[in-house]
Amino acid sequence: MVQLIIRRIGMMILIMLVVALLLFLINEGDPRLIARSILGPYAQDQQLDAWVIENGYDRSVIVRYFEWLGRIFAGDLGESVIYKRPVSEIFWDRLGNTGILAGVTFVIMVAIALVLGVLAGMKEGSLQDRAISVFSIVTTSIPEYASAVFLVGVFVFWLGWLPGTSSMTSGFDPLQMILPVLVLTLYGFGYIARMTRASMAEVMTTPYIRTAVLKGLPYRHIILKHALRNALIAPFTVIMLQINWLLSGVVVTEFAFGYKGFGALLLEAALRRDIFVIEACGTAAVFVAVLTQTIGDLGYTYLNPRIRFK
Amino acid sequence: MSDKKILSRDKRRYLLPSERELGAETHSYLPELCDQLRTKKITRRDFLRQAALLGMTAGVAYATADKLIGGALVPSVQAATPKPGGTLRVSMRIQQVTDPASFDWTEKSNVARFLVEHLTRTKADNVTVPYLAEKWEATDDLKNWVFHLRKDVTWSNGDKFTSADVAHTVNRWLDPKTGSSNLGLFGAMVETVKGPDGKPMKRGIANAVEVIDDHTIKFNLKQAALAMPENFYNYPTAIVHRGFGKDYEADLSKNPIGTGPMKLEAFAVGERAILKKAREWWAGPFHLDEIHYFDHGEDTNAWIAALASQQVDMVFRLPNNLIDAAEALPFVDLHPVTTAQTAVMRFRISEAPFDNLKLRQAVVACMDHQEILDKAFQGRGQIAENHHVCPIHPEYAALPPLTRDIEKAKALLAEAGHGDGITLEIANGDTEGPWMTDACAIFKNQAAPAGITININKMPANQYWEVWDKAPWGYTAWTHRPLGTMVLGLAYRKGVPWNEVAYDNPAFDAALDDAEATLDVNERRKKMEVCQKLLQDDAIIPQPFWRSVYKAANKRVKGHKTHPTLYHQFHNVWLDG
Repeated sequence: MVQLIIRRIGMMILIMLVVALLLFLINEGDPRLIARSILGPYAQDQQLDAWVIENGYDRSVIVRYFEWLGRIFAGDLGESVIYKRPVSEIFWDRLGNTGILAGVTFVIMVAIALVLGVLAGMKEGSLQDRAISVFSIVTTSIPEYASAVFLVGVFVFWLGWLPGTSSMTSGFDPLQMILPVLVLTLYGFGYIARMTRASMAEVMTTPYIRTAVLKGLPYRHIILKHALRNALIAPFTVIMLQINWLLSGVVVTEFAFGYKGFGALLLEAALRRDIFVIEACGTAAVFVAVLTQTIGDLGYTYLNPRIRFK
Repeated sequence: MSDKKILSRDKRRYLLPSERELGAETHSYLPELCDQLRTKKITRRDFLRQAALLGMTAGVAYATADKLIGGALVPSVQAATPKPGGTLRVSMRIQQVTDPASFDWTEKSNVARFLVEHLTRTKADNVTVPYLAEKWEATDDLKNWVFHLRKDVTWSNGDKFTSADVAHTVNRWLDPKTGSSNLGLFGAMVETVKGPDGKPMKRGIANAVEVIDDHTIKFNLKQAALAMPENFYNYPTAIVHRGFGKDYEADLSKNPIGTGPMKLEAFAVGERAILKKAREWWAGPFHLDEIHYFDHGEDTNAWIAALASQQVDMVFRLPNNLIDAAEALPFVDLHPVTTAQTAVMRFRISEAPFDNLKLRQAVVACMDHQEILDKAFQGRGQIAENHHVCPIHPEYAALPPLTRDIEKAKALLAEAGHGDGITLEIANGDTEGPWMTDACAIFKNQAAPAGITININKMPANQYWEVWDKAPWGYTAWTHRPLGTMVLGLAYRKGVPWNEVAYDNPAFDAALDDAEATLDVNERRKKMEVCQKLLQDDAIIPQPFWRSVYKAANKRVKGHKTHPTLYHQFHNVWLDG
């Protein structure tokens, strides 16, 4: 197990270095583009050339890459072209906002998905199973931008119950969290519920459950004590994948509700070529993806003895 | 041009009392302008615009117009008495507000507008009136302009507002190191020289700015410029304090020293800008206590959702596709305005295949302007005529209407050497909204029967602004400008920075120079007709339509008029409840 952990972490570091190199080459390969994005559209050629020389961008790209890596490790992410502030200031702030949105969504989404998945899987083929399955497939099939518009139409324009945006401009407001959390939950829960349902249904057909039923154990006891623990091993990886999605894949929802999160920051940076923000966000998004995958793999290995002892 | 040409007090004794009454002291052309209004050769609005342009104060111009054509003798009764106080909340993108000279978005200038102000002000009715400058004078050849500054204005740090501030500001614009688009706007004060690296470089001409005294400043131009007062209200032309960028960093968000009524209480790019009334204002009472700008991101649905849930009182602009939704809200008023805002499917004629005149003419012949207006913009505007001069411009000359002619397009295409058809690509960034893609798609269908296949290269808005002056064919949005000569000078004169078409036509430049040096609007119209015709014949800008602009605001917002360029003028805005 220790060897596996070391191997996985080594692989993680290697992936991060390669991705960082790609990000750097794409964003800082052409020094004149950097000068243009910093000095603005009306800067004349002489100004661009002078900026490139003054800031050392006329040196080789490899030298600049290792310098950049050094700065990243030292916590210096550069200064944002759009925000005119150190990237680290905005970055942690926005990551924190997304963390709140992701955390609330994660708790609600996983709880609903597991309950519905178990309810569907324990009686495969029943009306209850079919109703839950259809509902989860439908909600997962509707993209976030569509459900966001639909829910805003109902709860903001028609009923007038909820605020239409979630920019938290006057401080944290729980009411402003409702719509984005609802959109993300509707979109995300179906996948976990379907995986849980399949896993549960499989467990329910195993001999040890049949034995427990025949022994006359209470049904609730069979589900909670015997079936559930095994049925949750398969969805574990899927749940870990959701963390990655919730941190870096919620761009659409943040965009739709004006939520000041990490996804919206990355999108704006990409649209306005804010290179140092793109580099920081890109690196962080890949780090989260690789980290959650690694934890997922290790966790799955730990939970599943068949893999652990192979 | 010597000072003798400027009409000064010394010349008064040569004027007849009747001429003096008609403003001849201010400018020798004013009596003739009055005569044109009296004989209905020009409209009241044209008179007001022109009189203000020549230095007549707004009050006198409006009173003279009423006297000449019998306007309302009794002033209109204001609907309600403004209530002071309150906070106006507006949904708008919050971008960095560093150096006003390098502003490239209206949104930046809107935050700055309540801190730093302009020499002139173009009102929502498209008439430019005095502001920090209380009046101005121009020589008859329009090459020398003298601006008289108000004496009752102070900066927020206590300094008096003087000519030194204006000179410092304008000299910064003309310095290539500043990187200001004003180098193009004030082309009459700019020369092109060889830079240190041998490449051509633009910079201000010697003696362009001349301080006469503490409150008088003179601009010496190398050629006639009609629109100096209008240009001084363009969004990168706010006047900054004489220490800006010299004694302290050129960053308005860090050093918000201004002549306006507000102070910048809080500012965070991408989040909010909080402006708070800070002092007595030289221009009179400012009703609002605070203005809060909130950034709800790029998604226009979020803007209207914020308005619907009353998180804000106003949206910066209302996209065309959301007008119906806003109209359905019972507590919201729509504020439309007819403008010269447009977008042109311009060819870069230095690039193949658009260096071929016949090909360009073939593409242009396929366009049905009305269909594009109706389908892409729900008819909310008026059709354009491929020459970038709008019927609301005073010097607009009506040309014969354009019609779609596919047979003609086919013949021209064959003459161009593409008898078997051609595939072209248009770059589009939807910089003003998704209707731009719709317009391209409709034109694609219109051109197909002639054998012209159009591929639409859709890209993010900011990416488009990186290639807008390089792409061989692109769909570029242009904002409203009060005079037709202004936009033609900015966009189609040889060598100017915004000549995205790479247009180089000496006959056009000469005709435009001539129009820009002509005060008489009827005469100028004749000269503009030449410019318009040349642009049409050279087929450089298929231009589908002019669009009306909409804003939406909560009904509690009173006294607001949408400005054609979406500049925020909240002088008369107040909140009811």
